Amino acid sequence: MALFLPALVVLIVTTSAPLVYLAWTSLERIDLSMPWLSGFAGAGNYLQMGADPRFWHSLWLTLIYTVSTVVLQVLLGLGLALLVLRIPKGQGILRVAAILPIVLAPVVVGLFWRTLVLAPDVGLVDVVTRALGLPSYNWLGDPKLALLSVIAIHTWQWTPFAFLVMLASLSSLPPDVFEAARIDRASAWQRFRYITLPLIRPAIVIVVIMRTMIALSAFAAIFAATGGGPGTATEILNLYAYRTSFSELNLGYGAALAMVLLAITLAVSFVMFRARRAR
Amino acid sequence: MANAGRVSMRGIVKRHGSFTALHGIDLDIAPGEFFALLGPSGSGKTTTLRILAGLEPLDAGQVMLDGVDVTAREPGERDVAMVFQSYALYPHMTVYENIAFPLRMVGTAKGETDRAVKDAAAKVHIDHLLARRPGELSGGQQQRCALARAIVRKPRLFLLDEPLSNLDAKLRLETRVELRKLQRALGVTAVYVTHDQEEAMTIADRVAVFMDGRIVQVGRPQDIFARPATSVVAAFIGSPPMNLLPADLRDGELRVAGVPLPAPRMAGRDGPITLGVRPAALRIAERGLPARVYLVENLGDTTIVDLDVAGQVIKLRTEQAPNVREGDHVHVAFAPEAMHVFDPATGQRREG
Repeated sequence: MALFLPALVVLIVTTSAPLVYLAWTSLERIDLSMPWLSGFAGAGNYLQMGADPRFWHSLWLTLIYTVSTVVLQVLLGLGLALLVLRIPKGQGILRVAAILPIVLAPVVVGLFWRTLVLAPDVGLVDVVTRALGLPSYNWLGDPKLALLSVIAIHTWQWTPFAFLVMLASLSSLPPDVFEAARIDRASAWQRFRYITLPLIRPAIVIVVIMRTMIALSAFAAIFAATGGGPGTATEILNLYAYRTSFSELNLGYGAALAMVLLAITLAVSFVMFRARRAR
Repeated sequence: MANAGRVSMRGIVKRHGSFTALHGIDLDIAPGEFFALLGPSGSGKTTTLRILAGLEPLDAGQVMLDGVDVTAREPGERDVAMVFQSYALYPHMTVYENIAFPLRMVGTAKGETDRAVKDAAAKVHIDHLLARRPGELSGGQQQRCALARAIVRKPRLFLLDEPLSNLDAKLRLETRVELRKLQRALGVTAVYVTHDQEEAMTIADRVAVFMDGRIVQVGRPQDIFARPATSVVAAFIGSPPMNLLPADLRDGELRVAGVPLPAPRMAGRDGPITLGVRPAALRIAERGLPARVYLVENLGDTTIVDLDVAGQVIKLRTEQAPNVREGDHVHVAFAPEAMHVFDPATGQRREG
């Protein structure tokens, strides 16, 4: 008891206490621009969301952002891993190279893409497209393209993670099982479909779970690249909660939005972990 | 039968970098034959089997199955089945799915697959385990599952890579007999890799003995046992294997460790020879080679006596318990007909 008490206290103070405070705040009306209206609101903040189109819009963006980045990461990661697995030498260098985007701070990644890759006229993408005679796009400034851009940024940074997990999983597969499948008349596609995929399924599932949890609460890279804009074009739920609390200073409603995001993340993770255990 | 399972390998060469694993192997296996590839580790027997299966590319030579050149064909196109030393079962599939896999891959109808799977499982007595996964089976059951997966397609050629080496001794003996019966019943050609000479001798119709990437002798087990082609084969076959002693042949007289012995009827130049005698052909006698008893191993029905003859240990095997103790000085003798003579330089057998 005496041994783990300090750890318990630290944990409660740093994690549980802020959460409880957030939950409590979400039940209050605290709008710093209209402080005279402050007071207990009960479920008022939550009821307000039902009629808030910006909330539904951000929820929809969160869904698109999460599903597309996770699917892209798994497909690209698996594809890359299968390709790299065929390279007899130099896999080590590729593994190290793959770690680089992961170890960068998401804010740095967002800024790097905004200033060096996607910026109009001087950005890498624009230089290339113009050199090819294609029209120039404002990747982060155009509301239609901004969401694509932030999805691309997230996918760029985190596909290496999926790639590394898949590569490790693929290289640990027993070679004799694949030889048996060759003798058993399985074509290359059949071997992939009936042997490789089922055997690396645990790795795929864990990548999906981990990446979904992170994508749902993504913040820094989008914040640095677009700040949620233009307008609300890339305003996923996390950014909406941030903007509500700290730009519009409506702390009560922002806390309620954050609570909803927390609940969604927990529910999705719970369902996924249950599904993982089911088979 | 159209696909009889006649194997013919010509001039097979396999290199791993600068190391040559196979130096031009020639091999002919008749339809329905149970053929063993026997040799110590690294002698090239497994490589030969894998080349036959199509799993290993070769550097030179030709593989023919029933008169058709299959050297460039994929393993799946050769109509051969294989049992791996590790069994190589599909760990995520049930026993049923494992056995059905080779049929499923070529789109066999469900009903036909079902019948074939149950039939194959019954043949190897695992029909009660069909719903299990490989991880829930014992080693022997996994081995049977691998066998069932191989026989379910009724291939023309059955390749077995040390299939019994992961079983315990008792199960190995039982499975050996069953394997032989199964092969007979199916009438399929079987090529069987083993490093266990006893296994090869008891199970196979014919044996090819591999040494350092070459086949040194091919023949029926009893012929290889009776007339080993080289001293290396002689020292590999038999349990315990043949005793080899340096000897001298001069003017038709044989001398071992300076002791004259009745010379066998054999042609041969005068000079040094390697004399081979099976342990069972040795007996303790009044006269003969002086020896000191080094160790007595009582195996119950037989006894093996290790003897020190002029500084070299030879083994004697006898069914009667010999009246000797460790440290005793005795004489050993053997009939001239029991002698094998090998050239000490080349190791080749000299014929009488």
